[in-house]
Amino acid sequence: MALPRITSPHAKGNNRTQRVMLLVAAACAPGALALTWLFGIGTLVNLVWASLVAVAVEAAILAVRRRPLAFFLKDGSALVTAVLLALALPPYAPWWLTLVAVGFAIIFGKQLYGGLGQNPFNPAMLGYVVVLISFPIPMTSWPAPHSVGVWEGLQHIFGLASLPDGWSQATALDSLKVNKSLTMDELWAQNPAFGQFGGKAVEWVNLAFLLGGLFLIHKKIISWHAPLGMLGALFVMSLIFWNGSGSDSNGSPLFHLLTGATMLGAFFIVTDPVSGATSNLGRVIFGAGVGILVYLIRTWGGYPDGVAFAVLLMNLAAPTIDYYTRPRTYGHRKAERGFKLGE
Amino acid sequence: MALPDISRSMLNNSLVLGLFAVLTVGLVAVTQFGTADRIAAAEREAKARALGEILPAGSYDNHLLDHPREVFDPLLGNKTATPAYVATLKGQPSGIILQATAPDGYSGSIVLLVGVLADGRLAGVRVIGHKETPGLGDKIELAKSPWIRSFEGRSLTSPDESGWAVKKDGGQFDQFAGATITPRAVVKAVHKALQYFDAHKAELLAVQENSNG
Amino acid sequence: MASYREIAVNGLWKNNPGLVQLLGLCPLLGVSNSMVNALGMGIATALVLAASNAAVALVRNQVTDAVRLPVFVMIIAALTTCIELLMQAFTYELYQILGIFIPLITTNCIILGRAEAFAAKNSVLHASFDGLMMGAGFGLVMLAIGTVRELLGTGAILGNMHLLFGPIAAHWQLTLFSDYSGFLLAILPPGAFLVLGLLIALKNVLDERAAERAKATAAAPAPATSRRVRVTGVIE
Repeated sequence: MALPRITSPHAKGNNRTQRVMLLVAAACAPGALALTWLFGIGTLVNLVWASLVAVAVEAAILAVRRRPLAFFLKDGSALVTAVLLALALPPYAPWWLTLVAVGFAIIFGKQLYGGLGQNPFNPAMLGYVVVLISFPIPMTSWPAPHSVGVWEGLQHIFGLASLPDGWSQATALDSLKVNKSLTMDELWAQNPAFGQFGGKAVEWVNLAFLLGGLFLIHKKIISWHAPLGMLGALFVMSLIFWNGSGSDSNGSPLFHLLTGATMLGAFFIVTDPVSGATSNLGRVIFGAGVGILVYLIRTWGGYPDGVAFAVLLMNLAAPTIDYYTRPRTYGHRKAERGFKLGE
Repeated sequence: MALPDISRSMLNNSLVLGLFAVLTVGLVAVTQFGTADRIAAAEREAKARALGEILPAGSYDNHLLDHPREVFDPLLGNKTATPAYVATLKGQPSGIILQATAPDGYSGSIVLLVGVLADGRLAGVRVIGHKETPGLGDKIELAKSPWIRSFEGRSLTSPDESGWAVKKDGGQFDQFAGATITPRAVVKAVHKALQYFDAHKAELLAVQENSNG
Repeated sequence: MASYREIAVNGLWKNNPGLVQLLGLCPLLGVSNSMVNALGMGIATALVLAASNAAVALVRNQVTDAVRLPVFVMIIAALTTCIELLMQAFTYELYQILGIFIPLITTNCIILGRAEAFAAKNSVLHASFDGLMMGAGFGLVMLAIGTVRELLGTGAILGNMHLLFGPIAAHWQLTLFSDYSGFLLAILPPGAFLVLGLLIALKNVLDERAAERAKATAAAPAPATSRRVRVTGVIE
C-alpha cells in the first residue's frame, strides 16, 4: 500500500496514471509476441477477452459504487491488470477461467478496497492465485510449443470443442519437480522446448519480458531497484542451493532466471507502485523478498512456480518495509528508521 | 465460634464451587455411563464398515476386527507396527487387510489400507490419510474419483513387474491430469505391500488359523 | 425485561452472533465447508447454548460474584462434554469429521458471553429462549455459509446428509450444476472468509435499506436502547 512515507520535495513529472498504464501495457508487447510465437493464438485471445472482461467489470462496479465511469475507466489500470493476467494464465485457459480470474482481480483485488491506490495486494496476482488454487487442472495445462492451431485453439477456449487428449505438457518447472530419475541433460534432451538457448523454447519469452522491462526502466516508468532485488535474490539463492545437474537437481541459476514467470514478475509485478514498497531501499528489499520466496516455493513448496504467492506475501510486508526504510528527510541529518522510545 | 467475614465468604464460596464441581462431574459421569456401550458399538461399526468395504461381500464370514495381528516390515512403509486384519471363510483364511504407507506423496505420506485375497489378488485399496493437493492429487480418494478401484483384481503377476507403474513411466496405471507424483507413490506402495504379502503369506494367514482353532 | 419477540429478533438478526458480534468465528469459518457439517455444528452449539443459559439462569441467585465465572465455565464444559458424548454415540461419522471443533464449543465466546450478559440476569425461561435464538442465529449463518460454499465448491448441495439424518437422507444430494469444474477456493479456508464477508455486507445493505424506508415513512426515529458491543454495523 502506498503509504506516503516519502516527504517533499516532489517533482511534478509528466507521468500521469494513464500514460504510465499505457506504457506498461505497451511494454508487454514483446512478451506477448514471444508467447504467441511459441504457443499460438491463445495468448492473443486471452488478451482481448481479459481486457473486455476487465473493462466491463470495472464499469459495473464503478456504477454500483456511484463513481464517475469515464474518469476511472480512462486511467487504464483495469486494462493493465487484464494484460498481466492474460500473459500469466495458460494460453488456452477456458474462457470462464479468465473471467473468474479477471473478475476476482478487479472486484476483490481492487474495487472492494476502494479502487486504484487503495489495494494492499497486486490485483492481477490475487486473481491468478484464486484460479490457481481453485482450478489446478486447467491452470497447469500448458500447450506444447507450436502444437495448437488457430481454429482448434479458439474452439477450446470457448468450450465448443476440446483439444485432443495430451495436448498439454508439463512445463520445465513441473518436470524439474516431478523428475526423479533423469539427469538434467537427459531431461532437457527429452524436452527441446525447455531451451538452453537456441531453438524454439520458453526462455525466449522471459528474454522478451526482460526487453519490455528494460524499456520501462529507460522511460523511467519503473525504477531498477525492485527488479534487481528480485533477480539478484533469485540468482543468489539458486547459486547457493545449486547441486549440480543430477536427477535431484534444483535447477541452475540461469534456468531459474529464464523460466516460469521470473521476468514477467520482476519487471511488471514487483514494480507495482501501489502494492509494493515505496522507497528505493524498500524496493530492493521487497524485490529480494519476492526472489527468495520464489526460490523456496519452486524448490521445496507445493507448487511448481511461486511468483504469485511470493508477491502476495511480500505485499503484506510492504508497509512494514516502508516503515523501516524511510529515507532522510530534507534538512535532517539522519534518516528516521524504526520505532523510537517515546514516540 | 464466629468466623470473621472473609473466612466465612471463603468457606461459602468454596462449598458452592465444590458443589458445582460434584454436580457437573456427576452429569458427565452419568452421560458417559449411559453412552459408553453405544459409543463402543458405533466406533466398532464404523471401523468394521470401512474394512468390510475393501473385501468383496461373501469372501469372509468372521468379524474382521476380532483378531488383529501387529505387523511391521520396511516393505509396508509404516513407521510403527500396524494391525493386520485377517478374513476367514468357514474357518479357512480368505484374505487380509494390511496398512501401508507411501512415504513419497506430493506433500507427505499417504496412508493406505490394502486388502489382499488369499490367492494374492488385490481385493481393494483405500486411502485413509493424505495431504495431497485438493483438485489434483486428492483423486486417490474414492469419494473424488474411482481411480483407486483400478487396483482391484491385480496381483504381482498381473501386471508383471514393469507394469506396476503409472502410464507415464511405462506402467499400466493411469496418472491424473496435472498430477503424477501422487498416483506414482500409491502404485509403488501397493506393489510393495503385495511383495510383503507374497513373502510372508504363510505366516500371515497361518497365525489366524491357529487362533481360530 | 425483554419480550420473547425482542429476544428472537436480537438473536436471529439484530445482534446475530455470526454476522454482528462476530463471536465464535473459529467454528463458523472452520467447519462451514458443507451443509451437513454446518448444520451438525450449528445444532450442537445451539443445544449447548440453550442448556448452559438455562442452567446459569437457574443458579444465578445461588452463586456469588467471586465464584461466578468458574461455576459458569464448569457448567459449560460439562454440557459440552455431554453433547460430545451424545454425538459420538449417535452420529459417529459426523463426530469424526467435526473432530476437535466439538470440544472447542466450550471455548466459544458466544456461550460464556450469553451466560454473562443475559442468563445471569434473567429468568430461566427467558434465558433458555435467548440461548436457543442466539444458537439458531449462529447456526443459520453457519448453514448459509455452508450452503454457499458447498454449492460453489461442488456444484451440489445437501451432500452426505445421512451423516446427520441416517440412511433415509442418503439420496438427498441435489446437483444443481452438472459438469461443474468445482470452485475449490470456496471449500478451502479463504472461501469461508470471503463468504462471511459477503454475508455481512448483504446484511448491512438490507439494514441500510430498511433504515431508509423507516426514515421515509416515519419522521420519528426509534428510541435507542440496545448498547451491546458490536463489531460490524452501526452501534445504536
